[in-house]
Amino acid sequence: MDVSQYLEIFLDETNEHLQNLNTQILELEQDPENSDTVNEIFRAAHSLKGMAGTMGYKRMQNLTHDMENVFSEVRNGNIKVQPEMIDVLFQCLDALQEYTDNIKNTADEGTNDNEPLIRQLNDILNNKGASGAPAAAPAQAPAAEKAEEASSDEPWYDINYDESQLSVLTEASKQGGKVYGIKVSVDPSCVLKAARAFLVVKAIEEKGELIVSNPNSQDLEDEKFESDFTLIVISDEPLENLIAAAKSVSEISDAVGKELDVTKLHSSETESEAEETPAAQTTAPAVAEAPKAAPAAAPAQGAAPAKAADKKPGKVAVKQTVRVDIEKLDSLMNLVSELITAKNSLVSASSSSEGNNSSFNEQIEYLESVTSNLHESVMKVRMVPIESTVNKFPRMIRDLQKQLGKKLEFYMTGEETELDRTVVDQIGDPIMHLLRNSADHGIESAEIRAQRGKPEAGSIFLDAYQDGNNVIIEVRDDGNGIDIEAVRAKGIERGVITPEQAAAMSDKEVINLLFNAGFSTAKKVTDVSGRGVGLDVVKSMIESLSGEVDVKSELGVGSTWTIRLPLTLAIIQALMVVVGGEKYAISLGSIQTIETIEKSDIKLVQNEEVINLRGTVIPLIRLNEVIETESHPIDENSLIVVIIKKGDKMAGLVIDELIGQQEIVIKPLGKYVKHVKFITGATILGDGEVALIFDANTLL
Amino acid sequence: MDQLSTNNNLNLPEDGDETKIVDVTFQYIVIRLGEEQYGIDISYVNNIVRMQRITRVPKVAPYLKGVINLRGEVLPVVSLRLKMGLDEDVFDKATRIIILKTENEGQIGIIVDEVKEVVTLSEKSIEKISHDNKSEKANFLSGVGKNNGELISILDLNMISLEDN
Repeated sequence: MDVSQYLEIFLDETNEHLQNLNTQILELEQDPENSDTVNEIFRAAHSLKGMAGTMGYKRMQNLTHDMENVFSEVRNGNIKVQPEMIDVLFQCLDALQEYTDNIKNTADEGTNDNEPLIRQLNDILNNKGASGAPAAAPAQAPAAEKAEEASSDEPWYDINYDESQLSVLTEASKQGGKVYGIKVSVDPSCVLKAARAFLVVKAIEEKGELIVSNPNSQDLEDEKFESDFTLIVISDEPLENLIAAAKSVSEISDAVGKELDVTKLHSSETESEAEETPAAQTTAPAVAEAPKAAPAAAPAQGAAPAKAADKKPGKVAVKQTVRVDIEKLDSLMNLVSELITAKNSLVSASSSSEGNNSSFNEQIEYLESVTSNLHESVMKVRMVPIESTVNKFPRMIRDLQKQLGKKLEFYMTGEETELDRTVVDQIGDPIMHLLRNSADHGIESAEIRAQRGKPEAGSIFLDAYQDGNNVIIEVRDDGNGIDIEAVRAKGIERGVITPEQAAAMSDKEVINLLFNAGFSTAKKVTDVSGRGVGLDVVKSMIESLSGEVDVKSELGVGSTWTIRLPLTLAIIQALMVVVGGEKYAISLGSIQTIETIEKSDIKLVQNEEVINLRGTVIPLIRLNEVIETESHPIDENSLIVVIIKKGDKMAGLVIDELIGQQEIVIKPLGKYVKHVKFITGATILGDGEVALIFDANTLL
Repeated sequence: MDQLSTNNNLNLPEDGDETKIVDVTFQYIVIRLGEEQYGIDISYVNNIVRMQRITRVPKVAPYLKGVINLRGEVLPVVSLRLKMGLDEDVFDKATRIIILKTENEGQIGIIVDEVKEVVTLSEKSIEKISHDNKSEKANFLSGVGKNNGELISILDLNMISLEDN
């Protein structure tokens, strides 16, 4: 079968499952008793195995199979979750990730069998008696052991038979027929388990009458079973013949059987109802029933939550999704951009044409609302929660903790915050750098923390939230903070700044030195960070996404790194203004208010113009000076001031004239004019004219 | 100019021509700047448009006149005159913007006084100029071609590329 067409889906889904496993195993580490988590893990591992098998990735399948075995035992309560086990599981996930990466790059899983991992997994499985049972509560221990015995060696006593099956079996044994239970094990590497099972069933049916199979025939057909299944057969032939028939099918690793005592089989009815079932009533003495009830109850309980959980996906309202090539979305977005440009032309045409054609204006307004809604919908399609990117971080912090020998606690909020798909894909690395940075340089060693009276475990926070037209992602730690003097000294030592410059620099400017290429204050170079690449890369990556990064720090208390990203990249709401006869757009997201200020209200502070706006002193920026042109104000005695805000900084931009609010499509200016800092791009106005877009953030 | 040879017309000699010289020809758009004529390799030219409103971009070199809207795309426009150290452009009916496609910087428009004609020059008729001699203007030229007794200076389009500014 040619599966290459499924490769992409396989990779997507495998990554999802791996991510899910990472998250769930982390959760399991915190809460080893949580059966929901175990079930979730089991399901994910199982799906992974199935997918790998279908695609023919044997090694991947083997590894997941063994992992699944472990989870299966955990789920049945036979193994207790232990720290060493979690470590092994994480290593397995890494190995699986490696397979996946190989597949992604070469369409082949590679040749690493990961034998040591498989051995470790098997060790966990084999040690279950030693580690599992003693750890269990004494009262439950005997029951658990019996259940285990029952499930592994005599699965036929495990099956819940329904009344008709029991009566058939009882009837057959009364008439001298022999009832056999046969446990068939399929080779773990077998790809088409369902087909093998079918062949076994067929072979057995030639020799006798198949009464019950566990799992049932439908599940066997659908491959809904692990490596083995159980058949209950009535036959006149000796057991050996049946076993031989089963073993004759290829890829069957083992088949064991036993002649059954029908009286020991229990019904699916609960204990209290057992009296009502004729089979149990007539055959089982009341005394013998008590000890048997225990093993019967135990697996039943084990199975119950699993079944309940299996049904869960059906109950949760599953959202219907379609995977769409992002290029298709891009072209859709481009069309929307053109539509908006065309709409803007109509708007400007209608406003310039004289006369009162109100119905025309109504239609234009209607068109305007339709295009805005269309734009919004398309934007929303491109928006995905940052969850997919940030989900890997708890695992990373956990690993860092071991690597660095520091105790770390990681708190994450706002995973549901949505960003443009392309941004989400690229924001992962910068955040990872900052987190590693916090873990390595930020959080102090345990001794220093103790001296400072801080809790032993360092806290690292990752918060994401929306702020107007921006999304803010904050990486915060309660560690050492940035040692500004150390940075200053380092800057001089590295020759980045001269001693005179260093003396004149504000703390803020010194901190910004950290974003210089090749600047690292780490005293030691560690694996984690401190190779001198990092913060400059972080900065350039974020800037390439039209975002910015900022840091606030207090020595001994901690640092906060703030990444600010625009919500949308292509179309924004902007305020159109005129300065010196030229039209400019200012993104509405950064605008607070628009004020008219009397010239007499302008004060001078340190030779800088400021205004006092409702108690806040705000510096004025004469836009005409920024863009090197003459100002032609309409009114000589007053100024139109656009108040912009970034974080807690504010400024007033002095403009000549207001045109109004408009939806604009951002066009890149190209490499040729890229170095103008305060211009982010251009837009084409309704009349075909080009207007430049001010990046208000750079003016602050 | 090696990179030009992709678009060459190879004029193979007629049968019976015993010399078997292979002559390579190039096509040039002849433009006027002031009194002088210059040739621009046609393989770099994407479009020629009439003068239109240019939006000034602040804080850039004087020769970068600004940006224009060409069918929904925003392109930078360079004054060839200022770039070559000539007088400021005077826009009139004949003024054109030639849209060039460059490898590194995408499309760029250059302002010329007039677009005259397209000529075909053979490689033989172009005299190469070495860059280290003569006047400053020679730095913008890759050679001088002869066409019907007129001299056409061939512009070296690399000079349009962005400088450190």
